Amino acid sequence: MPEPNSPDPIVSKSFSTILLISVFLLMVTVAWSLYDEFFGLRPWRGYQRDFTAAYEKYLTKQIAQEKKTEAAVFAAPDYIQLKSNLDAAQKSVQSADAQLDQQLALLEEQRAAMTPAFQDARGKVVALIYQMEIVPVSDKSGRASRQKDLDEAKNEIHEVEWPTGGGAVEVKKWKYDDLNQTFTDLMAAKAALVVKRADTDTPVKDAQDKLNDYVKRNLPGLSLAALEGLRNSLTTFKVDLRQINVNPTGTMINNLGGAGLVDRCQSCHIAMDPLVVPVTMTLTKADLGMAKSHDAPFTTHPDPELFKFHSLEKFGCSPCHGGNGRALDSVEKAHGRYEHWLWPLNYPENYNAGCQNCHAADMVTEHAEVLNRGRSLYRTRGCIGCHKYAGFDDENERLTATRQQILQLESTKSAYALQIPRLNTQADQASDNTTSHQLRDRALNMTVESAKLDSQIEALDTLSSSLMREVKRVGPDLKEVQMKLRKEWIPVWLAQTHTFRPTTKMPQFRLEPDEIQKIAAFIWQSGITGQTLPNQAAGDANHGKQLIQSRGCMACHSLGEGGNAVGGDYAANLSRVGEKDNYNYLVRWVHNPRERTLPYCPFEKKDITPADYAKHGLPFQFDLDHSRCPNDGHQLEVQQPTIMPSLRLTDSDSRDIASFLVTQKHADATYSAAPFMDDPKFAAAGKALVQHYGCAGCHEISGLEDEGRIGTELTNEGSKPIERLDFARYTEDAKRGIQTNGKPDPRGTWYDAKGFFEAKLVNPAVFDYAKVKPDPMDRLRMPTPNLNDALPGITPKNNLDALTSFLLGSVDPQLPPEYMYKPADRRKAIQEGWWIATKYNCIGCHQIGIGQKTIMQDLPFYQSDAKANLPPSLTSEGARVNPEWLRQFLANPSLSTTDTNKNGVRSYLEVRMPTFFLSDDEVRKLVLFFGALSSQAEPFIPEKRVPLTTAETELARDLFTNPAAPCLKCHATGDPTHDKTATAPNFILAGERLRQPWAERWVTDPAKIIPGTAMPSGLFNRVGDRWVFNGKLPSAFDNYHGDHADLMVRFLLAMTPEEQRRLGGRTPSGGGAAPSGK
Amino acid sequence: MKLRHSGYIIVTAALAIALVSCGKKEDTTSETPAATTAPAGQPVDAATAGTITGTIKLDGTPPAPGKISMAAEAYCAQQHPTPVPAEDVVVGPGGTLANAVVYISDDMSKWATTIPSTPAVIDQKGCMYHPHVVAMVAGQQLQITNSDQTTHNIHPLPKDNAEWNLSQPPGSAPMMKTWNRPEDAIAVKCNVHPWMKSYMFAFKNNYFAVTGPDGKYSIANVPPGTYTVTVWQEKYGNKTTSVTVPAKGTATGDVSFNAASGD
Repeated sequence: MPEPNSPDPIVSKSFSTILLISVFLLMVTVAWSLYDEFFGLRPWRGYQRDFTAAYEKYLTKQIAQEKKTEAAVFAAPDYIQLKSNLDAAQKSVQSADAQLDQQLALLEEQRAAMTPAFQDARGKVVALIYQMEIVPVSDKSGRASRQKDLDEAKNEIHEVEWPTGGGAVEVKKWKYDDLNQTFTDLMAAKAALVVKRADTDTPVKDAQDKLNDYVKRNLPGLSLAALEGLRNSLTTFKVDLRQINVNPTGTMINNLGGAGLVDRCQSCHIAMDPLVVPVTMTLTKADLGMAKSHDAPFTTHPDPELFKFHSLEKFGCSPCHGGNGRALDSVEKAHGRYEHWLWPLNYPENYNAGCQNCHAADMVTEHAEVLNRGRSLYRTRGCIGCHKYAGFDDENERLTATRQQILQLESTKSAYALQIPRLNTQADQASDNTTSHQLRDRALNMTVESAKLDSQIEALDTLSSSLMREVKRVGPDLKEVQMKLRKEWIPVWLAQTHTFRPTTKMPQFRLEPDEIQKIAAFIWQSGITGQTLPNQAAGDANHGKQLIQSRGCMACHSLGEGGNAVGGDYAANLSRVGEKDNYNYLVRWVHNPRERTLPYCPFEKKDITPADYAKHGLPFQFDLDHSRCPNDGHQLEVQQPTIMPSLRLTDSDSRDIASFLVTQKHADATYSAAPFMDDPKFAAAGKALVQHYGCAGCHEISGLEDEGRIGTELTNEGSKPIERLDFARYTEDAKRGIQTNGKPDPRGTWYDAKGFFEAKLVNPAVFDYAKVKPDPMDRLRMPTPNLNDALPGITPKNNLDALTSFLLGSVDPQLPPEYMYKPADRRKAIQEGWWIATKYNCIGCHQIGIGQKTIMQDLPFYQSDAKANLPPSLTSEGARVNPEWLRQFLANPSLSTTDTNKNGVRSYLEVRMPTFFLSDDEVRKLVLFFGALSSQAEPFIPEKRVPLTTAETELARDLFTNPAAPCLKCHATGDPTHDKTATAPNFILAGERLRQPWAERWVTDPAKIIPGTAMPSGLFNRVGDRWVFNGKLPSAFDNYHGDHADLMVRFLLAMTPEEQRRLGGRTPSGGGAAPSGK
Repeated sequence: MKLRHSGYIIVTAALAIALVSCGKKEDTTSETPAATTAPAGQPVDAATAGTITGTIKLDGTPPAPGKISMAAEAYCAQQHPTPVPAEDVVVGPGGTLANAVVYISDDMSKWATTIPSTPAVIDQKGCMYHPHVVAMVAGQQLQITNSDQTTHNIHPLPKDNAEWNLSQPPGSAPMMKTWNRPEDAIAVKCNVHPWMKSYMFAFKNNYFAVTGPDGKYSIANVPPGTYTVTVWQEKYGNKTTSVTVPAKGTATGDVSFNAASGD
């Protein structure tokens, strides 16, 4: 029972507080949602507003500036002159034009007047002709009557009111034929008048062109009208989402076909929208008055050149840059910088990573210097020795596969050999002839099949010999350690690799002292024994030093330590060679680094000794021409697998260089005795360690020639989900942005692929930290790569960025196959050629790509005057030389089998084009590469050369010996006295070597083809449509109207030694002596 | 769940902060643009301008000059009955150094620069360059003539300017060229006659001079003040001294190179 006085809840209780709170909450949420709608979840709206305001200001400023510039240009005397020229030209043709126009108008009037009558008559005649044609031939009367109709129609008189000018009209009475003739004449007259009018107008057109040219030259960039147009378009600018959608129309966003690309980056990076900021315009933050702002994503692309071959509509942004192109909620989301986005936006130092996405088959990608450096480091610093990477140096794998195939074919062959006699016996004993024939046929077929196998095996053998030439190891051959190295040095090197040689490509292994002893002992004892090198006399070290400078060694090697290092970073620093290398070995090495002590037979898996040869009664001789195994006839490895080429030095020069090299050492260097090196117990234990650490990935080691790579394949390393990158004890720290040294990470977090790669590259043991691994064999074994560089200006950070970029870009393709850069046209030859040009460091000496720098050109030795002694630039090589000649030259750059201590072409250059012992396949690819770089057609068809007539020969001789063409002052002739001062190639080579079209371009303006060349420009002047010699010409030329450059080039290409000798006498003071007997 | 919660709290807090700070926008006020066109520089007051003069010398025993061999071309050899001495160090009586370039190396951009209307001149005569060292103002015309009866090619090797290499046969018209960018010691050579060598200087102001055979130089129209004067010599490199130019007065800046220390 309720109490009677209990208060009525309706009266006494109030919900107003709750309601008030609810109302307030509702208002807050509405405000919040509105905020989110316009600002919170749409940060791009704010960006677009900020941008348009700043952009408008900028355009206004530009317009004012452009107005001033335009006014200045229009007031310039040159402009006024051109303008008045135009006006004058217009004036001068005015009356003539008016007259012609009048004539044309009259013709037009006449045509109009006669057209109705003419069309009418023609229609009738044509119809009657048709009527007559369809009458059967037999119906003679029918034909006659139709003929009559036709004649009547043709004779019918048509009246035309013919205007005769000035409004006067004459009535003409014409038959059909008259009409037809008049009309044809009329048309011809009109055409003639139109041509005439165009002729009259030529001066006007010329003047107009000149004026337009002038304006274009002096008012580059956007015109005033274009700028104003842009500013006006801003008034209708709509703040809106902007996206690049690369999908077939109609597909849903969750079920994308094609590239599956939706990039909304331009919603914030609004200056990247070509409709807002034209692609020809560059805009910086400073332009917009936001130089100091950290939140102004409004600049245009820094390398607009890239858009020429990567259109925004097709590629969008994220395939190159990474990030989540669809996200718009926040900068972090859009840039993909959160845990669950696999491809975060690349940081500036790793921008090039994006190129690798599609350009994974390239070794050299234009515009991607950082990536190119990364790829090159991956190869030269030996990463490839342990980590397989698709496309990188797979010759060894191919070689193994080839050998497998050979073995297989051989086993088939021996099976046949067993079966054939058996079948023959069966055939002899068969019960009937049919069976006997069948068996005999099988035996015969098998015999022929077996012969076919021989040719197959032979082809594979050739391939394997070619591949063996191509296999190069990153580190030196360790079979020859006993002949080459100081025994005590090896353990020191293993312990202090980067201290001994701070720029070495060999990584530093983390080894326990006993491991070092075991490994060193194994390496020492596994080396070839019992072979001695001839004792070499001492050479002239000073001359050796000069040769090292001048022959080109420094394009790969460096000398000097620390800040004093000078030279390339491609091969070893030679500063302490004297502490470790044997002099006699060095002499052999410098003379020909490919020379081996014993050949290796990959089938028997052993080094072949003189005893093996003797057993078969063969002399102990092995080289590229004597490469068959005396035991099994297969191809031997006859060269050292080093990349270093032969410089074709004389024995004496080799001794001089080696003598200099042995002086390169620290005076106070001491090495303590290492008795364990000869202890077999140590060696036995060392083998397992050498295998564990993968030494054979980079070195050739006895007994481990076929060892595979021990590391993870890295082809798709950049695609690994973050969970699969083992940050171990650093997982939490990485997420929180605490670096391994305890300091805060400037990026905020390093729990991403970049963070992992960088930490690992700097210290590969980092992720072992705080783990208990008592057995050293359980520890992470990756050695510390050397990120130091011998090149000045390249810091360890640069190299770290380069390698990280390369790895970050090593991803599973996220785009469809048609996006991958695997060209089928001549670009394929370029793509393949770069692998070889970088493998042998051709680019250390030669400029091949336009804008590419060489190591040589920056060496102190080649500054200023000495520039002329640099190796030639090859930017136009494919257009310059005959590819067949180039093939021969690459195979033997001395162009001689006997006189090899020289350059074949530029004999005057101290720097030496080495012999690389390239495989046929490499030569072929290089020749195609140069041709493709110069856009040459393939296969090559030599140009037709028109021989000189007798008269032309006389004229050409006059040109050649003219004082204004002192060709033989610089060009070599073969006469040793003269050639001492020669600085250009001998013309005798030209005919076979050069292409005529190139040579003509060359003689007329060489600086255009190779800026800075010693060959002067201005030998010929352009007069009308031909080149005329720039010098006093004999009177014989008065009647010669041909092109002088063409004449000269044809003469030079046909040059013979006899001709050169004769002309040497004629040239005033130019190398007159007789050439040497060669 | 907890995470999302804290997310909201953060968002709310951010909202609050945003509301409070509403109106306070990123500082995007346009900065004063960097001067794109440098002020032409003020003219030097002729009433107060002074002069720097001096003598450049070589202390110690001057090196024996090398002899140039022109044997490679008979015409050139014929022009010189006695062999021409090399011009890298030309020493007069008392050790005076010719062909040294003396210039104020301080920033003089505050003063107006006049580009002479007459061209700087270099002639090829007797297969040598005359003069051996040419100094001019950047932008000034350079006239190159060939007085020889043989073809020369003029091949300067600049670092900052554009390189060119042109043939000039005998009897051809003078060639007109300009160095548009200031640059020191542009080596010039003739590929046909490798012994021919010259150096060109293009300055951004008018405060420079080349010493004559007596080693003397004079730089006129210098506003009063203290300056660093740099002397360049082909073989011995650069040396500097400090001079103070009084109003309407003359300051002396003598510099001596040491024959022994040079290499």
